[in-house]
Amino acid sequence: MTEAAKGSRAAGIPGLVRGLAATARTLARPTHTSEYPDAPPSLPPRSRGVIALLAENCTSCMLCARECPDWCIYIDSHKETVPATTPGGRDRQRNVLDRFAIDFSLCMYCGICVEVCPFDALFWSPEFEYAELDIRELLHERDRLGQWMATVPPPPALDERSADPAEVSALGKPARAPRAPRQAAAEEGQA
Amino acid sequence: MTGLDVAFAAAGTVAAASAVLSVTTRHVVHAALWLVVSLGAVAGCYLVLGAEFVALVQVLIYVGAVVVLVLFALMLTRAPIGPNEEVSASPLHRALAAVLAAGVTALLAAVLVPLARVVGAVRRGGPGTTGLGEQLFGTWVWPFEALSVLLLAALVAALAVAGMARGRGAGEP
Amino acid sequence: MSPAVEVLVRTVAVLAAFLVLPLLVGQTEHKVMAHMQGRLGPMYAGGFHGWAQLVADGVKFAQKEDVTPAAADRPVFRLAPAVGLVPYLVALAAVPLSPGLVGADAPASAVLVLAATAVGILGTLMAGWASANKYSLLGAMRAAAQLLSYELPLVLAVASVCLAAGSLSLTAIAGAWSPWWLLWQLPGAFVFLVAAVAELQRPPFDMPVADSELVFGAYTEYTGLRFAFFLLAEYAGIVLMSLLFAVLYLGGWKGPLSGDLGWLWTLLKGFVVSVLVIWMRVAWPRLREDQLQRLAWLGLVPLALLQLALTGVWVVATA
Ligand code: SF4
Ligand code: SF4
Repeated sequence: MTEAAKGSRAAGIPGLVRGLAATARTLARPTHTSEYPDAPPSLPPRSRGVIALLAENCTSCMLCARECPDWCIYIDSHKETVPATTPGGRDRQRNVLDRFAIDFSLCMYCGICVEVCPFDALFWSPEFEYAELDIRELLHERDRLGQWMATVPPPPALDERSADPAEVSALGKPARAPRAPRQAAAEEGQA
Repeated sequence: MTGLDVAFAAAGTVAAASAVLSVTTRHVVHAALWLVVSLGAVAGCYLVLGAEFVALVQVLIYVGAVVVLVLFALMLTRAPIGPNEEVSASPLHRALAAVLAAGVTALLAAVLVPLARVVGAVRRGGPGTTGLGEQLFGTWVWPFEALSVLLLAALVAALAVAGMARGRGAGEP
Repeated sequence: MSPAVEVLVRTVAVLAAFLVLPLLVGQTEHKVMAHMQGRLGPMYAGGFHGWAQLVADGVKFAQKEDVTPAAADRPVFRLAPAVGLVPYLVALAAVPLSPGLVGADAPASAVLVLAATAVGILGTLMAGWASANKYSLLGAMRAAAQLLSYELPLVLAVASVCLAAGSLSLTAIAGAWSPWWLLWQLPGAFVFLVAAVAELQRPPFDMPVADSELVFGAYTEYTGLRFAFFLLAEYAGIVLMSLLFAVLYLGGWKGPLSGDLGWLWTLLKGFVVSVLVIWMRVAWPRLREDQLQRLAWLGLVPLALLQLALTGVWVVATA
């Protein structure tokens, strides 16, 4: 027998007893299991379950669709002309969203679309129970995406010593120097 | 013919038939398994005759240990599934074995058949476990001890042979 | 009661015990093991804490396809589960629950039980060889090596008790038992317990079915009911060995109120032993093959011989 084997033999009996003790202690304690379908899981804040769409905010800018790494956001829109509200004013054009769909069978939950949306139209919701028997059902159209909005939690409070949000820190900055008047600039250009 | 007669005849037939199968089959492992059946049937014969303890020891030692050892050795070396022509004996061997077996059978029959006529039908009885112990360690104690010394010697010799083989193996470059 | 009816009643009773007790042990294992690992175990089947989980498992096994591998030795492969299972049934019939309550009262029941369990090994060997799978064959070989080495200490330990009681009958052994045996036969009891767990190929002696190396050893190729039979044989083995331990070393039905409730005492003691067997499975890692053999030949056999000598001296001295 080698020296190492002898050493392990010496450690054998106490080791065995410790094994028995550890399992017995665990037996006496309550279990860690949370019975998921019966008991709701406690998810951490910012859990990524499903993406919700606030269609009112969406300007059909297509940023999200272009940034999505697997091209699983489908957006159709058309332009509408909004007549001028004041007499002599200019007619304005506006994008109207026809279709907004996310294919969750392709989505990899990277969150890029939520990050990139400049108009706060996309949000993470912690809901995750939307499995389907048919993979085609995972293509959530605008209505379905809109319904998820109700499950979006309020944003969690900032961490204690985190930097101030951009809006707040902007308030503290000195005001910018006023721009040079347009007239002057135009004249300079002419010169 | 009593029920015991029938039971004894049945056990005996099974023992003999499976013994024949065990010798004639071309599957090595099947031969060992037929041996199990044969030994079990012999144990059954003992049981019918009322020698319960002998029957149980037969099963414990022969089926539980000896055949398991045989099977283990077979599996460790070579035990293909399917018939194995390599293990069959040459015609000369077969003839010799048949003659030998016939001779032994004739000898045993010559001794035992007259006895059977004296005893008549199969009877349960015999000494029982206590009687067996007393016989074994009373009347037959010296043969018993001699046999155990013989087995011990064989065991030591086997160990020595194995050790020798290993010593040679280690000595070779 | 006419003899035929009595035989029928006894057979049915033993069969029922053979089917129910292993399920009880199996369910206990599910639950105890789960709680020892901080889990809950099965919770849904049957409603209350998953009590019907094993029944559901049985139904599932019965529905599965019975596959025999193409290269397998068909008759041996199909016969193996029966050879593995039936000996335990026979052995269970000979274990007494109380002096009057025994399936088949054999005069040398201790030897009968040992002989029957020894035959059960053949089932594993046949299964492993006939599967035409190298992992199965390796598993069967490990099983054979392990069972051969642990058979000896087991038999020696039982022999010591038989010697102490002066009988080969389990009923008489438990009848001769006195609390003093707990101390006197302690080495033997230890040897018996370890060797019994090893005979059953239960962890920490589960080298023959080591899942990380051999998939499931000799049973790898089995499916459906035949596989279920092997599992049943394993749990029936636990029941048998636990009851045997209770009868041989713990006095079986001896205890307060043992007049009418003796059988309950035996079952209770057996249950405690089987929980111990389960506990060992949860708490200890698997032994390596060489450690297994070393423990058997250098640890258990000398200890069993020592116990046998001790018992012999004591019996002769007090006779
Ligand atoms: S989370 Fe990622 S993959 Fe999913 S839709 Fe948004 S950008 Fe595409
Ligand atoms: S980035 Fe936002 S606003 Fe632009 S299309 Fe996507 S969801 Fe609409």
